[in-house]
Amino acid sequence: MLADLIESLAKIVFIFTVNVGVFAPILGWVERKQSAVMQDRIGANRADILGFTAIGLFHSLADAVKLLTKEDFVPANANKFFHTLAPFIALVPAISAFAIIPFGGRYELFGREINLVIADLDVGILYVFALAGLATYGTVLAGWSSRSNWSLLGGLRASAQMLSYEVAMGLSIIGIIIVYGSLRLTDIGAAQENFFRWGIFLQPVGFIIYMTCAIAENKRIPFDIPEAESELVAGYFTEYSGMKFVMFWMAEFLEMVTISAIVTTLFFGAWHIPFVTDAMLLSWFSGFAGPNGAAALAMAVNIAVFFAKVSFFIWLQMTIRWTLPRFRYDQVMRMCWKMLLPLSLINLSITGLVVLLL
Amino acid sequence: MSTTTGLGQSPYSVQVGVPAAVLKAKKVRRRLDLTLWEKLYVAEIVRGLVITSKHFFINMLGFIFPPAGKKRKVFTVYYPEEKLTLPSAYRGRPVLVAHADGSEKCVACGLCEKMCPAHAISIVAAEKAPGERYPARYTLDLGRCVYCGYCEEVCPKEAIVMSDEYQGLAQGDRNLLRFQKEQLLRPEGKVKTRLYFVRRIYSKWNY
Ligand code: SF4
Ligand code: SF4
Repeated sequence: MLADLIESLAKIVFIFTVNVGVFAPILGWVERKQSAVMQDRIGANRADILGFTAIGLFHSLADAVKLLTKEDFVPANANKFFHTLAPFIALVPAISAFAIIPFGGRYELFGREINLVIADLDVGILYVFALAGLATYGTVLAGWSSRSNWSLLGGLRASAQMLSYEVAMGLSIIGIIIVYGSLRLTDIGAAQENFFRWGIFLQPVGFIIYMTCAIAENKRIPFDIPEAESELVAGYFTEYSGMKFVMFWMAEFLEMVTISAIVTTLFFGAWHIPFVTDAMLLSWFSGFAGPNGAAALAMAVNIAVFFAKVSFFIWLQMTIRWTLPRFRYDQVMRMCWKMLLPLSLINLSITGLVVLLL
Repeated sequence: MSTTTGLGQSPYSVQVGVPAAVLKAKKVRRRLDLTLWEKLYVAEIVRGLVITSKHFFINMLGFIFPPAGKKRKVFTVYYPEEKLTLPSAYRGRPVLVAHADGSEKCVACGLCEKMCPAHAISIVAAEKAPGERYPARYTLDLGRCVYCGYCEEVCPKEAIVMSDEYQGLAQGDRNLLRFQKEQLLRPEGKVKTRLYFVRRIYSKWNY
């Protein structure tokens, strides 16, 4: 019982540190620096500590200090309760979605079976969708409670866009669920041990639809009409400052990590290296490290591989963000209802037919 | 202050724009509706991603292993550490040109004062010797100057020219922007390229 508690706590602390402590601040830097490198610029490089600039990494630190010490401003006539609540509703799902994502296999360590996932829910992927649905409320509430025209417009656009894309996103994943026959993400991950059974080979269309919808759910360019800097100042979080602003900002980055993690788990072999099974890893390492050491090493390799894949997809999302222009509002809607939804339905029926016949 | 203008510029040979012989007409696709392939977006998006990630990887390579001796690909100038060599057409702060002995060329004719659209110049004239005028006080309010260059154009003595100085033009106190004659005097060598340039564009002295 106690050991269970310690194990879960350790996993939670690990994921929390990686996400909030490493990914969120580093991604702020990556976004600036990567956009600079892609556009033949130099990017943030001025913040320094005692003359060390550390290729601009201290800008995240400076940002944190600035935003934490900033006045927390609530506009007059705004609904104070919901105005405060909205960033929490946006941030909490972004963090907690990671609870069900497996970042490694199942190993025997000191007689205990350790499963590298915080909560191995049997509803699995549905939990992620439920939380994504909740995150919509954060955006809509933020837009509504700010009492600002820009925010309200942003909130309206966000509600329409996110609700629409949720449909196509859900349908795009059902193909994967049919193929692997499970909602549990650990099962789906384990089923991709064989390189040729990776989700991308079985469901390439599903991958494209899911990626598109996920970026739209996260409201990043090319689907950033809810914030649309050039039209709506900052959209639904125009009226936010200080810590609450950081929470929206962090929610966006963490959601990006979550999307990458889900894409990795569903389509790109989760924690597996192509052509290398967990059993092979164990047998290689047990030669010199003993059974426990081998399990620990294999876990470390799993985690490293998983986060390397996640980093790649974060890079891909950043590249997409700095490559494409923003869609117009009607284009966003048309794309969802007239292209992605029928496409995902076709994909679903073909997948169902093939699975039924095989 | 600023020492960046090269003096080696040759004064008269100048080529403006691209020679007509080199120009080639560019093919523009007039059809504005997308083909089906483009409407599918995916391939076109991948094409865009390839272009941007090509830039990304080439630049990353450049950042990690900076090419020795070669000029870097990034155009950004690290401003306080690096400065641009400004072209002689650049209109910075107007300055007074000095003779070799350090006295001003200006004869206090007052044309620039009259011409200045912003009323930035005020001159108090005096006489050194009978018939030889000089400005006892020459005040240039850089808080008012709009850097139009009319003073330079109108001056019959090449005594005031636009320099390439752009630093120290923002101050917390307006009084600091009111430059006196002593602050504005520059030796002739420092503004030589601008003088050549002025002669060419205004053609007023028929040199
Ligand atoms: S540049 Fe124009 S505004 Fe400035 S002093 Fe000369 S004439 Fe006046
Ligand atoms: S126009 Fe030239 S010579 Fe006449 S007052 Fe102005 S600077 Fe002096």
